[in-house]
Amino acid sequence: MALIFKNFKENIFRLGPLILLVYICISEFHTQFYYWEIFSFNLQFIIIYYWILRDPSILGYGFIFLCGLFNDVILSLPLATSAMSYLFVSLVAAYVRNATVRSSLFTDWFTFVVAILIGNFIYFFLISNFSNGNIKYDDIFYNSLFTFILYPVFWGVFELYKKLIFVRVNA
Amino acid sequence: MSTSRDDFGIAIRSALLQRGAKQKFSLFVLILVSIFIFTLDNANLKPINFLRSLINDGIYRISAISSSPIKFSETTKDFFVKQVFVYKENERLKSELEQLKKSNLNSLYLKTENDSLQNILQLKKDSPYTLVNAKVILDKGSPYLNSVIINKGSNSGIKLGMPVLNQGFLAGRIVEVNFTSSRILLLNDLNSRIPVVVSPNGFQAILSGVGKKEPTLQYLPENFELNDKENLIFTSGKDGILFPGIAVGQVIVEENEVLAKLFSDPDQIFFVSVALDQAKEERER
Repeated sequence: MALIFKNFKENIFRLGPLILLVYICISEFHTQFYYWEIFSFNLQFIIIYYWILRDPSILGYGFIFLCGLFNDVILSLPLATSAMSYLFVSLVAAYVRNATVRSSLFTDWFTFVVAILIGNFIYFFLISNFSNGNIKYDDIFYNSLFTFILYPVFWGVFELYKKLIFVRVNA
Repeated sequence: MSTSRDDFGIAIRSALLQRGAKQKFSLFVLILVSIFIFTLDNANLKPINFLRSLINDGIYRISAISSSPIKFSETTKDFFVKQVFVYKENERLKSELEQLKKSNLNSLYLKTENDSLQNILQLKKDSPYTLVNAKVILDKGSPYLNSVIINKGSNSGIKLGMPVLNQGFLAGRIVEVNFTSSRILLLNDLNSRIPVVVSPNGFQAILSGVGKKEPTLQYLPENFELNDKENLIFTSGKDGILFPGIAVGQVIVEENEVLAKLFSDPDQIFFVSVALDQAKEERER
């Protein structure tokens, strides 16, 4: 019984980032505010990049793909646009993980620029070529800028969470 | 040089194809599946549209349920903010009440006069449209789209392009219809373009969303003269989709552009009415 409870506890803690990602994609949670119009950031990119880079066993590629599909339906984007964008962010994270031996906040942070650029390029390319929607370039620029600026904050939060998982699992 | 290229190739290949201990799919396979789904969705085939409509309905319902904690927290915050300011508001309201009492007599006279004039002109007091009332179930902002989702769809007779009213004023138009849900493109969205007429001058213009709260008036005639307080904006019906004469907003003249202050605040849309058709009497007029 105790073992079952321990496994359950472990699974719940390990599912935390995935639950957060699904919730952000599927709910009304938004990171764009009318009162300070230029401020918005892409929390999905941060979550995906961090967890694929630091602990890929927490966040499966299949779930990332599904979250992208949910996001497309909610935002009325052509189906699989966000999914492709998220998968390319995952690809950059997986590449950095394979190519670097020791990673730190700064290496993660600066390689994240490449992930943001590629992720947003996929959005740009697919929306501007395959849909009738207009793109407001300055909004996307500010979104990318704040996503980049806020990465260290979430990096700190997720590092703490990772330690919490480790302590709980090994308790 | 060739060693570094080899390293890059190995790292990329590994990132694309390696599944790892807990990964059930490789990135390469999922990217291919995404491209396949994207192509199918863009092909605009009837069965795919039908399937997408079903998926949309399901996901919107799940999304509405999962958003309830956010809605609850916003309502709670609003409640406490209101409580904090209730004392000041009470004082202000007391003084306003005194003022209103004084003007009440005058208003009563004007109302009676207005009623009699309306009777003379035989104006309809009811809405001139056949309306379907709906509730906003999802309002998710994004840099790409300002739209909301309502809980009525094709099963209630809603079709693409129909105008949506909020408290009698134009709020947007229908851009996606599912069986039990629809998406409204709000007037301030970057993709929104509505043909309008500015009263009393009768200038024709296009109301274009710019992603901010106030859309702009474009394609006004040369040497136009507009005034902030006098000029109101109505739909012109020139596109043949929206009905003419729906109130939209008030003109705001700024240095280099003419903006529209919308009567229907895009941040405050909770219940809407979709205008299915003009009432018979209105069509005959």
